[in-house]
Amino acid sequence: MHPSLRVCSARAHTPLIKFLGRRTHPSTPDAPHPHPAAPADLKARFSEFLAKMNASGSSEPPSKSGSGKNTTVYNEFWEAPSRLWKPKVRYIEEAEVNAIMSGGASAYRY
Amino acid sequence: MMHLRRVAQRNITRVGKSRSTGLRGLATAAEPYDVVVVGGGPGGYVAAIKAAQLGLRTACVEKRGSLGGTCLNVGCIPSKAMLNNSHLYHQAKHDFERRGIEVPTVNLNLAKMLEAKTNAVTGLTKGIELLFRQNKVDYIKGTASFLSNTRLSIQPISESDSTSEIEAKNIVIATGSEVAPFPGGSIQIDEEQIVSSTGALELQKVPEKMVVIGGGIIGLEMGSVWSRLGAEVTVVEFLGAIGGAGIDEEVAKQFQRTLTKQGLKFKLNTKVLSAEKKDGKVYLEAEPAKGGKSETLEADVVLVAVGRRPYTDGLNIEAAGVELDNKGRVVIDDQFTTSQKNIKCIGDVTFGPMLAHKAEEEGIAAVEFLKTGHGHVNYAAIPSVVYTHPEVAWVGKTEQDLKAEGVKYKIGKFSFAANSRAKTNLDTEGFVKFLTEAETDRILGVHIIGPNAGEMIAEGVLALEYGASSEDVARTTHAHPTLSEAFKEAAMAANGKPIHM
Repeated sequence: MHPSLRVCSARAHTPLIKFLGRRTHPSTPDAPHPHPAAPADLKARFSEFLAKMNASGSSEPPSKSGSGKNTTVYNEFWEAPSRLWKPKVRYIEEAEVNAIMSGGASAYRY
Repeated sequence: MMHLRRVAQRNITRVGKSRSTGLRGLATAAEPYDVVVVGGGPGGYVAAIKAAQLGLRTACVEKRGSLGGTCLNVGCIPSKAMLNNSHLYHQAKHDFERRGIEVPTVNLNLAKMLEAKTNAVTGLTKGIELLFRQNKVDYIKGTASFLSNTRLSIQPISESDSTSEIEAKNIVIATGSEVAPFPGGSIQIDEEQIVSSTGALELQKVPEKMVVIGGGIIGLEMGSVWSRLGAEVTVVEFLGAIGGAGIDEEVAKQFQRTLTKQGLKFKLNTKVLSAEKKDGKVYLEAEPAKGGKSETLEADVVLVAVGRRPYTDGLNIEAAGVELDNKGRVVIDDQFTTSQKNIKCIGDVTFGPMLAHKAEEEGIAAVEFLKTGHGHVNYAAIPSVVYTHPEVAWVGKTEQDLKAEGVKYKIGKFSFAANSRAKTNLDTEGFVKFLTEAETDRILGVHIIGPNAGEMIAEGVLALEYGASSEDVARTTHAHPTLSEAFKEAAMAANGKPIHM
């Protein structure tokens, strides 16, 4: 809708379509809601569903009874900080691997 | 020295086969996948590719032996091959002459037509395997079964391989749907005489008489195919209209008139009770839906097209603790999360219409939610298309929806009979219909019956997605001479008057 065209027309048309610009998202994740196509009875008991979901595979550490301070316990090893199970490694480029394996020969082109 | 070199060569080979391109770390085989997608249909394979594109270590488990799910293997794609080629055959036989093309004899080579369909399917399914390789998605051929909410057992397709297990931080269930059996079980599908859509794509000869139970999209498409190839087709529908859920009543009536002119017969408001196979024929017992005198319908082939149901067989979903509803659908929230927060679910196996493009959108959104916490699927703007000729397509609200909701609306209609390109193509059946909000002119629904409706509806979906008014569309230039001018003129009709009618 070029502005000059609107000036020429008897009634200026205001487009309903707006340029939205580059999509941006808030830094926090969206809160869950009932699925729009879910049946009414499931929408009505969504809080129950949500409670069940939040209780599942919880990464919340269970508190250790009798202990003076909270100790983090993880159900799965990958839930722990990666430094505990994924040692720092130096990633090596394929060319470097080839150079080592070929005794340096792969670095030369003929 | 020789021994060392051999070891070195073996290592190089192993590195070459590893999924990390040129990078090596100390990650062990026990490290779980970031995402495992169960099911390689249009929802599942798209989710897997998107997840890998977002940097997640991804695997996709598929038990069919080829990717693409129902859609590519036994659904949308093979049916479109048959629809297109049967249409060309029908045109050559019945329509070419009035266009000045004389073809003395037109013969059907059904075996060749089925082969063309198979070639299209194979090409596309192999294409997805290539996309998996390009995007570094691990393709696991086998049947996945939950051991827990993070662990899956994989029963391989190949009998020579042994059962294995994989661990995943997140799992996406995308197991799709299967053909729904005839209610009550009184008609058993044998895929030869009494067929589902799968068997209807594999008939080795054109039946003399075919009865289609169900006047929805699948029944009408497959009925059209075999009607064009020479079968006498009768469609039996329980409801009072054809086209299935979501079709505008005015469009449905026009659609039925058009298909009747093409030779299809319809029995609406009719209930099929049973089927008996005798002397190479099938005899169907049917009666009016509201009760009354029953009648017997004779057929060589019966197509049961009464819908589809969610598929979770063999998934051992109880072990994951995932909740199902009373229709067997996986219960999810609007972020596709199931009752287990590390398991998402998309496509036919959960809520919403069973459409491949809906599953694809959900697949992308589900993994975006995993990665970023945000995703987008607009359920108010999902198009439906019937690929008959003419095609039928729609998006948004129907007139009957708006009446039921008490919304004040305007209608803008334009017939293809007044469209120049449709005239030149000798293909003028149908119209475009806009439904707009009376006060704001905002487009609420677009319904098309006519040539190329399935492509044209994309413009309606875009308009609906971005909240366009009919005037926005009407003031947008459409190329001349094109069928899309009918779309523009219908928009003009909704907020004023069209030029060419």
